[in-house]
Amino acid sequence: MKQHMRAWLGTGVVVASAGLVLAGCSGTGGGGTSPSPTAGELTASSDPLTVMIGSSGDAETKAVTDAVAAWSSSSGTKATVVAATNLQQQLSQGFAAGSPPDLFYLGSDAIAGYAGNGSLKAYGDMLSNQSDFYPSLVQNFTFDGTFYCAPKDFSTLQLVINTELWSAAGLTDADVPTSWDDLASVAKKLTSGTTKGLVFNGEYARLGVFMAQAGGVLLTPDGKAEANSDANVEALTYVQDHLKDGSFAYAADVGAGWGGEAFGKQLGAMTIEGNWITGAMTADYPTIKYEVVELPKGPAGAGTLQFTNCWGMAADSPNQQAALDLVEYLTTSKQQLAFSKAFGPMPSVQSAAGEWKTENPALVAFLAGADYAQGVPTQAGASDVIAAFNTQLETLKTSDPKTILDKVQSNLEALK
Amino acid sequence: MSEQTLPAALPPIPAAAPTPTRTGRAGRRPPRARVVIAAIALYAALIAIALVYIYPFLVQVATSFKTDADATAAPVSLIPNPWSFAAYDKLFANSDFPLWFLNSAIVTVCVTLGRVFFVSLAGYALARLHFRGRATVFAVVVGVMAVPGVVLLIPKFLVLNQLGLYNTYIGMILPLLVDAAGVFIMKNFFESIPVSVEEQARIDGAGTFRIFWSVVLPMARPALITIVILSFQGSWNELAHFIVSASNPALTTLTKGVASLAAGALGSGNQYPLKLAAALIMTIPVAVMFFIFQRRIMNASEGAVKE
Amino acid sequence: MSATASQAKPSAREATRHPAGIRKGERLAGWLFVLPVILILGVFLFIPVLMALWVSFSDWSGRGSPLAPGVGFIGLENYADITTGGGLAESNFGTSLRNNAWYVILVVPLQTALSLLLAVLVSRQILRGRGFFRTAFYFPSVTSSVAITVLWLFLFSTTGVVNQIIAWFGATGPNWFNEPRGLVHLALEGVGVTTPPPALTAGGFLGITWWDWIAGPSVAMFALILMAIFTTSGTFMLLFMAAIQSIDPSLAEAAMVDGANAWQRFWRVTLPQLRPALFTVLTLGLIGCWQVFDQIYTGTQGAPGNTTLTPAYLSYQAGFQDQKWGDGAAIAFILFLIIIAFTLLQRWVLRDKPVSRRRMRAYLPGRVTPGEAPTGAATQGEAAPAASAESKKGAAS
Repeated sequence: MKQHMRAWLGTGVVVASAGLVLAGCSGTGGGGTSPSPTAGELTASSDPLTVMIGSSGDAETKAVTDAVAAWSSSSGTKATVVAATNLQQQLSQGFAAGSPPDLFYLGSDAIAGYAGNGSLKAYGDMLSNQSDFYPSLVQNFTFDGTFYCAPKDFSTLQLVINTELWSAAGLTDADVPTSWDDLASVAKKLTSGTTKGLVFNGEYARLGVFMAQAGGVLLTPDGKAEANSDANVEALTYVQDHLKDGSFAYAADVGAGWGGEAFGKQLGAMTIEGNWITGAMTADYPTIKYEVVELPKGPAGAGTLQFTNCWGMAADSPNQQAALDLVEYLTTSKQQLAFSKAFGPMPSVQSAAGEWKTENPALVAFLAGADYAQGVPTQAGASDVIAAFNTQLETLKTSDPKTILDKVQSNLEALK
Repeated sequence: MSEQTLPAALPPIPAAAPTPTRTGRAGRRPPRARVVIAAIALYAALIAIALVYIYPFLVQVATSFKTDADATAAPVSLIPNPWSFAAYDKLFANSDFPLWFLNSAIVTVCVTLGRVFFVSLAGYALARLHFRGRATVFAVVVGVMAVPGVVLLIPKFLVLNQLGLYNTYIGMILPLLVDAAGVFIMKNFFESIPVSVEEQARIDGAGTFRIFWSVVLPMARPALITIVILSFQGSWNELAHFIVSASNPALTTLTKGVASLAAGALGSGNQYPLKLAAALIMTIPVAVMFFIFQRRIMNASEGAVKE
Repeated sequence: MSATASQAKPSAREATRHPAGIRKGERLAGWLFVLPVILILGVFLFIPVLMALWVSFSDWSGRGSPLAPGVGFIGLENYADITTGGGLAESNFGTSLRNNAWYVILVVPLQTALSLLLAVLVSRQILRGRGFFRTAFYFPSVTSSVAITVLWLFLFSTTGVVNQIIAWFGATGPNWFNEPRGLVHLALEGVGVTTPPPALTAGGFLGITWWDWIAGPSVAMFALILMAIFTTSGTFMLLFMAAIQSIDPSLAEAAMVDGANAWQRFWRVTLPQLRPALFTVLTLGLIGCWQVFDQIYTGTQGAPGNTTLTPAYLSYQAGFQDQKWGDGAAIAFILFLIIIAFTLLQRWVLRDKPVSRRRMRAYLPGRVTPGEAPTGAATQGEAAPAASAESKKGAAS
């Protein structure tokens, strides 16, 4: 017995001392005691920068890498671009490890989480081109009254039409839908064989356009939840009716991964997508001829969704001064137009609007959406609620819109 | 988690099963026809099931040589039409696949060598050396085998972080170096070696480590080969540990890389030939090792029931 | 001489061995040899578990170290959040438990039955080419779960191999990995129950209504269930084959003499003797099934409709993606407890029970009918184990 006790004691001592060592390591080296600059100051050093992006493909990675390299050679600070395979996961790990990238893509739905736990540096007010950004985008990245990060670009959703199928169904430019009824009848005419009139992803990020057009929102600007308003119910009922009669369809139900793929394979004659559709079509479905028109107006007028990412800056970054410099470089009108040409999204600065329109006459509808687009809710935890909303939307065809929206409402109310 | 090794005992078992003799009874032999029908039924059933088990892999090989369109249009066919090496081209020339392969190879070789060494050391100590607390240590090792891997996902990341091993090769290799099941296997094996051999060596004046290294270990070849096979398989196929121990793209292993392919990296579209080609190449080393050592692997797994 | 003395009396040597004795270096060597194992297991297994326990009781937000001074102790708040919180955390946890429970309910019996069947078939004496079949059935177990998941995604895609084969038989296959409806719900729809009875939708557990609890695995989850059976049946087949080969054939002979047909022989003589192997297979199956992670991470990430979400993946997601490390750690520990509970439950269910009195009566003296006497008396040695084997099986059934 004595033998065993001594053995236990020995093992316990080893383990306990290891634990103390770990605790000691954390105390001295970890995040608890690292100096954080006061609100107005930025850290500065000669450390190289790491930029982490969630790339949509080779074109985007190359464009960003080239731009950062150009800045690097002119400013003298080394910087590397890392394309994340799983941006959310790698950011979380980076923050927990105390070694996050200096700059990274940050979605408007993710800002609440990172701002809330102090991981972000709020540099918005230090930007020299602050006034040039679209106000709605600035709003998306303002958390707790502070403007955190510079929007890097944005997209809106509009209606994309396959022009060959359009004319084959006997439709002309005059038939471009301007109301919900128009859309329904046009979709019906375009449905034949394996092609559905309108195909889109079965998620809030697409169906939300109808909710916007009916005048509904998920969260009001002052944070009140209005998910189960009559407007939203009306929108979902409209979509449900046409899912049932076969003129609308979800991309997954026709065997495609997303609306663009269904559109490219002609499983849908129309789709609701954003600026990124141009890159995908050129790369994967170059033979399809299409045009982009504004979505029809709903009962409450025009409405669509907009998506935007910003350049998040880590509070733990040792060289925030250089990072700020890089952000200002990447958000200049000239640079953003170059990005737009490479992989599609629209510049986030108003000064680039005119030139962008002349360079992209076929895509003007997207920019027009900026006037009436809604952003996705940015409250902390809202993205989880939307994820749950999406799972319920998958079965919209056979469920009750009011029940679905009631659940979203209760989830949103539980967020406070 | 499904790659957890089974605790396996060692001596290989003969393959053929003994059966009751047909003639040794009160003369009741089943009629010849019935035996033939039974045999045909048996073969038919087994061949049908074996087909279900083999066909997916044949489809995988075939599809990796198809074009994207052909893979979607004619998935069942085993003949590509037309033949296309685009998937392999993209994998080897245009992606980080060779880097992933290299990383997996580095980690697997280090883990296998390390594991063989440490596990046999510990197994020998638990089997042959007498020291206080030996029974406790063994109980701890056996108990550890019961901890489900899922509990360790988050905390292993936190510990690696604290130790500064996150995003390093060491962080990827070190935790895999010891495997409780391996210790169990080696201990069982060493216990079956006659003590007289060691006694003799000790009389000749050899120290403990010397005895272990030069006398006992060479005799443990069958067990060591089993450990090599199991560690190779386990570390080559490991995923969760690589997720938590590194996020630097330069340290991505095959499992993480192929998983990211499946989730849609490297471009849009279905890209089935590309994904299947990647999965296929990933399987080849393990398959080769399997076919070379299959008798030993299957005997080792069968032995697990004897615990 | 000491040499002959030691070789002549090893047992005496054993009796006199003590640490401070003849082999002084042995104690040190012993501890040195096991040190690497203890260190690594301690640092990378034991301490992480303790750290996770701490995180699950703390409010660490994901920045810096969880052992830093600023991190506070909040007791069971994280656990309360996921079990009674009333929000998404609770319903996600409930959904993941439901999904994994159905997974276990289907996979464990099916894979046990299939591997037993394969083992029996491949062990048949008249079979030639046993090696080929063993290899064919075991090969999937050798491959990585990532590789198999990628292959499965292809096979079960909407226009994939499986649906094409189903089309040959005239039916249309489901949209496998995109179909979130549960099998039980679909079956109920088939017999006309299309709307849930109000009693089942009124109440719920862990944020999920009872109607949703009995929804069964979704079609997508079912594809993953098939994959699990495909990859693990080979391993368990080998376990069963080893056990079958170690069965004493004379018992089966005795049963044949007693007039039992093949089915009875299998069910009442062979199967009870496979109890240790069965136990191993069930235990390993249960422990493995509750930890499904790799396949979800690679394949579906919880979609469609959260029906392939499992507690292990939810724990990862909560921590590594939503930065809710406390919730993630709490989920992992609750899962740990579930696994332990199931293992203990299964151990209890399969324990050796005493023979029931009803069964016993047939073997007590004074109850033997004349016709049975020769069997009972003449082959005493064989009958006893046969009787006890059968009585055990009988008592267990």
